[in-house]
Order: sequence, then C-alpha cells, then structure tokens
Amino acid sequence: MDFSLNSRHLDNDTVVVDLQGEVDAFTAPKLKQEIINQIERGVKRIAINLADVKYLDSTGLGVLIGGLKRAREKSGQLVLICPNVRIMRIFDITGLAKIFEMFPSEEEALARLRSTDDV
Amino acid sequence: MSDRPDSVLKDSSKGNVVDTATVELKIPSHAEFIGVARMMIMGVASRISFSYDEVEDLRLAVGEACTSAIDRAARAGRTDSHITIVCHMNPQRLSITVSDPLPYDPNEPARPAEGADSLEEQGIGALLMEILVDEIEIKSSPEHGAVVTMVKNIGR
Repeated sequence: MDFSLNSRHLDNDTVVVDLQGEVDAFTAPKLKQEIINQIERGVKRIAINLADVKYLDSTGLGVLIGGLKRAREKSGQLVLICPNVRIMRIFDITGLAKIFEMFPSEEEALARLRSTDDV
Repeated sequence: MSDRPDSVLKDSSKGNVVDTATVELKIPSHAEFIGVARMMIMGVASRISFSYDEVEDLRLAVGEACTSAIDRAARAGRTDSHITIVCHMNPQRLSITVSDPLPYDPNEPARPAEGADSLEEQGIGALLMEILVDEIEIKSSPEHGAVVTMVKNIGR
C-alpha cells in the first residue's frame, strides 16, 4: 500500500504532518494514531499536509474530523494544507470544506496557526 | 481477477472492438484488499472513454462500497467474509456491482437521509457513493446480504 507519514515539529506547539499516498480504511488508522499522539504530547497547532495524497476516502475524512474535534477539545487547532484540486473536490462535495480551515500552501497554513493567540 | 476470454473489449485477432465485457474480482473483507479493488476499477474504467476525474470518481465510489462491507464484516466478527465486485461494460455505461454476504444493519440506513442538513462521519461514504455515480441501488437482506449496484454512463 502506497502510504507514508512524517511529522515535522516546528516548535513545541506546532507540527506539520506530511502525508503521502493513499489514505483509506487500511492506512487511516496510522494517521489517527499520529494525531492522537501529537495532541497527547501537548501539541496545540497541527497542520495536516495533503499535498502528496493521491487518494482520500470517507475513512480518512472521518479521521480528520475526529482529529479536528480532539484538537478543539484541547483548545488546539487543526488545519489542512491542500493544493491538490482532486482532493479538494472531495471536501467540497461532502461539504467538509466549510468545516475545515484549508490552505493551498504550508506558509499560509502556518501563518493562520501562528496568528491566533487562543491556543 | 477473472477477465473472461469471451469478454475482452478488443479482439486482437480481428482488430474488432467487442462492445460488451464483464470483469469479476473476489477479495477478502479486509481493509488491506481495498486497494486491489481500486486497481481493478482503474483498469476497467481506463478501457472506456472516461475522463481522469470520472475514473477517480469510480475508484472512490467502489472503495466506499468495499469499506462498508469491511466495516460490517468487522462488526459481525466475520473475518472469513468476502466481497465480490463485478463490472459490466457496454457502449453506453459501466455498471459495477459490489456484493457481500452480510446485510446492512436495519438501524443504520445504507443511504443518507433525504434532506439531511448535518453530516455524520458514518454517512460520508454513503454520500460519496450517491454523488460520484449516475445511478445507485442498494439492496440488503439477511438471505442475500448486501448488493450495491452503481452505474456510470459514458459520454455524459
């Protein structure tokens, strides 16, 4: 299965999780666990980078929704980096583009995360 | 995967194009095999004049149907369950049937509620299937299990 995950800690509060490949029922549990781990270690600002994701299904969407809920419960933030038109379309047609904060670049996502003082 | 000798689209010996074909695949109801089903759909849909986006839509729709079957197998503790995917293609349409022996839970609707204005996580897969294909029919019974039939018309 074509999937990999790498977390880059930019500071104690901020992490970018780079995803690559296919996020489905087989691979999404790895992403779920990584988000849980980051939140449990106290990370407040999470950016999930979907730039190299080739496939994302409802299981992956569910994991991202769960991550957003968990982050908010801990007074944190979770945003998405999504320059990929095809992946963006999935968020649009499900209505989830209105729920997530989504940015076309890492720079814009990080600017948003660092602009808030409420975390 | 069985690609029957009498059901290939191109007859290489005569150079003719056969206008109907059937391709079947049977996979275990385990998440690690969903990718195999998606590869099958990509292979089949790529033989028809679908756009890249349409092929991707079909891959996702079939992936969602398989994910549903795998979820039901896991909840029922049926690790021996399986999923059968059958593609019928003709000059007008591609019809894909995804079936498994386990019915939908009657307390969990297979399709999203009409006019629902809030989206629950478990309803996303059903919603995607509805949106990504031109026609969808879901049948479920204890006797026959679940059968999801999806149709994508060609050239629309």
